[in-house]
Amino acid sequence: FPPVTENFAGVIHGLNASHLTDLVIQRSKRMILDTLGVGLLGTSTEVFHKVIQYSKTYSSDASSTVWGHLDFRLPPLYAAFVNGVAVHSMDFDDTWHPATHPSGAVLPALIALSEALTQKQKFSGPDLLLAFNVGIEVQGRLMRFSSEASNIPKRFHPPAIVGTMGSAAAVAKLLALDPFKCKEALAVAASYAGAPMANVATPTKPLHIGNAAKHGLEAACLASLGLQGNKQILDMESGLGAFYTDYAPQVLPTLKSYSWLLDQQDVAIKRFPAHLGTHWVADAASSVRKHLVKGDNSLPINGIEKIVAKVPDVGYMNRPFPNSEHEARHSFQFAVCTALLDGSISVQSFSDQNISRPQLRELLKKTQLEHPPDNKPSFEILYCEVNVTLQDGNVFSERCDTFYGHWRKPLSAEDLKKKFHSNASQVLSAEAAEGIMETVDNLEKVEDCSVLNAFLKGTQSAKVLEKICSF
Amino acid sequence: MLCAAQETVTGSFASFIHAVQPEHLSEVVLHRSKRMILDSIGVGLVGSTTHVFDIALRYCQLYASNAVSSVYGKKGLKLSPTLAAFVNGVAAHSMDFDDTWHPATHPSGAVLPALLAVAQMLPPSAKPNGLDFLLAFNVGIEVQGRLMHFSTEAHNIPKRFHPPSVVGTLGSAAAVAKLLSLTRTQCANALAITASLAGAPMANAATQAKPLHVGNATRLGFEAALLAAQGMEASPLILDDLPGCSGFSAFYDNYQPKPLPLPANSHQFLLEKQDIAFKRFPAHLGMHWIVDAALSVRNLLINYAGSFSPALIRTILLRIPVSKYINRPFPESEHQARHSFQFNACTALLDGKMGVHSFTDASIHRQELKELLAKVLVEHPEDNIANFDKMYGEIALILENGDVLTGRCDTFYGHWRKPLSRDSLLKKFRSNASHVFPEDKVEAIITIVDNMENLPDSSYLASSL
Repeated sequence: FPPVTENFAGVIHGLNASHLTDLVIQRSKRMILDTLGVGLLGTSTEVFHKVIQYSKTYSSDASSTVWGHLDFRLPPLYAAFVNGVAVHSMDFDDTWHPATHPSGAVLPALIALSEALTQKQKFSGPDLLLAFNVGIEVQGRLMRFSSEASNIPKRFHPPAIVGTMGSAAAVAKLLALDPFKCKEALAVAASYAGAPMANVATPTKPLHIGNAAKHGLEAACLASLGLQGNKQILDMESGLGAFYTDYAPQVLPTLKSYSWLLDQQDVAIKRFPAHLGTHWVADAASSVRKHLVKGDNSLPINGIEKIVAKVPDVGYMNRPFPNSEHEARHSFQFAVCTALLDGSISVQSFSDQNISRPQLRELLKKTQLEHPPDNKPSFEILYCEVNVTLQDGNVFSERCDTFYGHWRKPLSAEDLKKKFHSNASQVLSAEAAEGIMETVDNLEKVEDCSVLNAFLKGTQSAKVLEKICSF
Repeated sequence: MLCAAQETVTGSFASFIHAVQPEHLSEVVLHRSKRMILDSIGVGLVGSTTHVFDIALRYCQLYASNAVSSVYGKKGLKLSPTLAAFVNGVAAHSMDFDDTWHPATHPSGAVLPALLAVAQMLPPSAKPNGLDFLLAFNVGIEVQGRLMHFSTEAHNIPKRFHPPSVVGTLGSAAAVAKLLSLTRTQCANALAITASLAGAPMANAATQAKPLHVGNATRLGFEAALLAAQGMEASPLILDDLPGCSGFSAFYDNYQPKPLPLPANSHQFLLEKQDIAFKRFPAHLGMHWIVDAALSVRNLLINYAGSFSPALIRTILLRIPVSKYINRPFPESEHQARHSFQFNACTALLDGKMGVHSFTDASIHRQELKELLAKVLVEHPEDNIANFDKMYGEIALILENGDVLTGRCDTFYGHWRKPLSRDSLLKKFRSNASHVFPEDKVEAIITIVDNMENLPDSSYLASSL
């Protein structure tokens, strides 16, 4: 076998549109749509505003769109950065198994770069789809090099590792770098990879995705200018292996009949902006609530003695009294109580007001977590059981094994579009949102994917719409 | 209010960065740090002539905005501050010619470029003076040293992550935070944000990408400090030990963080107790031992045989510590050559000296050199530990007639136990800087750094580069 790194470079270089299956195209378009919506919504967050302030120092080179903004532009590197931050700003973006958030690390880089190069070269919808899938695929393959990656992470935040590599691979593909330079792009990217878990549940977490997109892009650009790194970066323990305690790299399938991971393993799409683990909790809690509340009545808080949520043992999700939106998005307890109180969790659940509601605080005081040994910290097998004990001694219990939106129970096309529409319409007009949906739906037939950017920054002219609708 | 003993480790670092003042700098620290600054600049200037620097510069020129910060050796060319820091950091490490500390890292290249760029970035009303600059520089060095003491793993030549990319990035953030006079909270956030930008694997050492580790350390730490100044927040416990959810500990196998003592009365900077090593030629520090050993055994052979005659040698036996990335029998590129015990030993034997020119393609591929390389055998004595404070280099020339000549070096000239004299340091600087500047400019830089603490506006140093 050739070294793994060389093999990856060869595959990145050799994959073409004909390798994409219908299922992969369909799933990846769903991911693209979801990511755009989530990113657009994310442009309204505080963390996004901060990175914008920072990045504006680079704004005189105005070649790429900042999603949701007509008023100024950024160079591709920083557009990729801020848009990536937007995508992960509310923890609303897609999640895969093994665990990472694959799309936010890849899509912003591709969109920003294709736009910046648009004077010299047109990129079609299929070009974008292919590069996007290369970026996703590489991430999935890399995570399979370590058993450590199958569980919810403890040391490094996966998007910062595999996301950076995926972004580099995707950009290398879009730029049609030769296999040698594809290899060097991966090698250079490894030197940018990695961020510790401790910054999860802080405003810096979204930067992990923004930086993954930005640094992968930078690595590929440096490689295209001739920069070289270690040609065995994926093979060596002191290469990508530095980020894992067990590391066993493997070569990719042959190009003759390439089988994509996305074909075998779909992503989960979130219904509300919080860590994936909270989605099991929300579904279980909403079900329990039905026993406690009839019709439109509110939850009888005083009648509740104790709330127990049986969840896997994940340290950074155990927050009994979260104080910020970032903490609230990473709190099992917050999820249980919000779902019990309101019946469901939504974007609004994480406003400062809702986080500090007295009734919520009341419930939080009564809440405990338990960690059954059979509840493993893996998005493939975890479950949540919520038990509510009333003052009168009655106990109500419900369990969720697979929440709606999980890859075993994917969102319907309609619900996916509903989520997109709800997100995008916070910052774009209905026509622009519609335009994005149309474009992504027909991405494999789009001749010039830079039309996406016209919608993303909020212009909508009849001419652009005409162009889109002429499939 | 927490007293220092109860404060988190992260909090103690933030307090230190925020509260330390110029009067806390001792004479020794001032003196040593100025030597480091001078050496780092010279090394950066010669580094601006390298190919890797050229690539980095071409990349950064795509971003033309806010071009206020100078680029080493490129008069009239300016870049935006963080990108200027990036290319200058790349220059500093481009030839592996920059300083090395114990525990092992290359501290100055990760800090100085960012500070120079900041000094030019700040408005005229807020220009830091030379003493402020020196203080910020030392904060950046100190933080790196303190962080490396959190893990015994850090004492030895690294295997997993390249130290400048780990501690260097945080050092840069701390230094920039100091120069920008960030609040204590902002200093803490700067450190924490930086952790998410730290860490590059060792596999890229001995490749062309290695210089980027220092370039990115100085640039990304700088960016993190700027983000913190904008109000970005991150984990308040980033340096503390968090079982089950790693912070800075993610980069180490064992991790025992310790709080920094507050500067209050008599903070002693690590630089006071532990000086730096300056390199005499552009190669990994380990090479310096074997070269000095080779030079001494070469003299023995010349005395023995009248001249240096390779034909007399049957085997060249190197006794070196175990470290995979510097054990290369037949290096093919300059980057590999700088990380090869075998190459450096044989070049020193052949030429009787080492310099910048030893690593050109022509030099690397010489036939006579290849013949010598073919005679090399390597041994790893158990007492030769892969640690810059303890290692030694020994060469045995086993001659065709059976005689054995041996050379050994325990402490090379330039090591902290045998520091370069002022003359030698200046010689190195002049030799480096004259690759890009005429004599009068070279002397002017020496004068400015020599009188750094009296400089009213430290951006003057940056603009003279």
